[in-house]
Amino acid sequence: MSLVNAATPLADIVLEDPSVVTVLNRFGIALGLGDATIESACLQLGIDREFFAAILNTYINEAYFPQKILAGFSAATVIDYLNKTNDYYEQFQLPNIERHLYLLTIKTDPAASNLDIISDFFTEVKRDLLARIDNDRRQWFPEVLANEQQHRPDAETPITDFEGDADSVEDKLNDLLSLFVVHLQGDYDHNLGLAVLLAIFSLRKDIAQNNRIRNRILRPISRLLSRR
Amino acid sequence: MKQHVIIAMRNTLAATGLQHLLHDRFSVDALVVPDPDDVTLAHESDLFFTDGSTFLAHLPYFLPRRQNTIVVDNLNSPPDGIAALLRPDAPEQDLAHTIATLLNHTPVNPTAHPSAALSQRENEVLRLVALGRLNKQIADELGISLNTVMTHRKNISSKLGIRSASGLTFYAIMHALVPAK
Repeated sequence: MSLVNAATPLADIVLEDPSVVTVLNRFGIALGLGDATIESACLQLGIDREFFAAILNTYINEAYFPQKILAGFSAATVIDYLNKTNDYYEQFQLPNIERHLYLLTIKTDPAASNLDIISDFFTEVKRDLLARIDNDRRQWFPEVLANEQQHRPDAETPITDFEGDADSVEDKLNDLLSLFVVHLQGDYDHNLGLAVLLAIFSLRKDIAQNNRIRNRILRPISRLLSRR
Repeated sequence: MKQHVIIAMRNTLAATGLQHLLHDRFSVDALVVPDPDDVTLAHESDLFFTDGSTFLAHLPYFLPRRQNTIVVDNLNSPPDGIAALLRPDAPEQDLAHTIATLLNHTPVNPTAHPSAALSQRENEVLRLVALGRLNKQIADELGISLNTVMTHRKNISSKLGIRSASGLTFYAIMHALVPAK
């Protein structure tokens, strides 16, 4: 999809890539978009238009990363978005997977299926993700905010690309998908199986896109501030 | 859960007898393929019963399904990796016992990805990873170099599409290489 701008209708973005709804939701934007554009939605909800457009473009274009634009925002703005993202994982996306996986499991003959093992693995992935979210809330984000309030980040300092830092939650999510797609055994409800698959895919994509913001924006800011 | 069973054997009497055995003892309605050479045209199945000559005549078809294939024949060297070899002159009780075991442990995805088949050494490495051993411990235990362990792990991840130690552990549990947690 081509880059979005202030005049882009939100409905067009969603119709092109429905998974972006998860990003809109965390800004307080729900379906039933009418003819709202990025500009009109931001005006109505008091959202920074440039930040919102940068986040959307980051999400829908994997090859695009507006590093300079995002680095120009305060750590507080970035953290506010990441907190909303974490809340969304915890309150919506993880329970969504859990609910459909539970329904799928109870409708599948356990004697001829390995779904319970896959469910156990999901429980571990969920635990790891919630632990990371907890660490963000209790430790990392408060530290960065405290440092920012004491110092001003130097906007001209080059920001190192930290995208190489692999997150183990990502690896496990990829493995969960492999187990589900390649190694699942059993006579299961196909609709529920599809629902589980799409939910895991959506979470994986979301985490991958947001890791770019965590690793290439917030982590460098965090290190810079901690050195001052 | 209903199991789909196909019988593709040149000996009509044996095929019919097997069909009746499966029905009477296990309530399984197996499909007998009239011409065993048409087995490749059949729908996918949970379990295949075939004879040695049909198996060899249709190797490209049976090899990816060998874990779900029972060869009914008096062979000295059964094909590698098949679910079982049934000797047609074995006592009925023995045949029934073997079939019962196979029916209870039938993987229900017979077209499991061929590339998922690991070598014996890879399975050994996988088991030790699942038991929580570090790479150095695996190398010491198997008497191989650390580099070799890393190569095996890389190949295992590539074949299975699973990278994390935790994911490999759950895979190993699935395939009964290690006990469940």
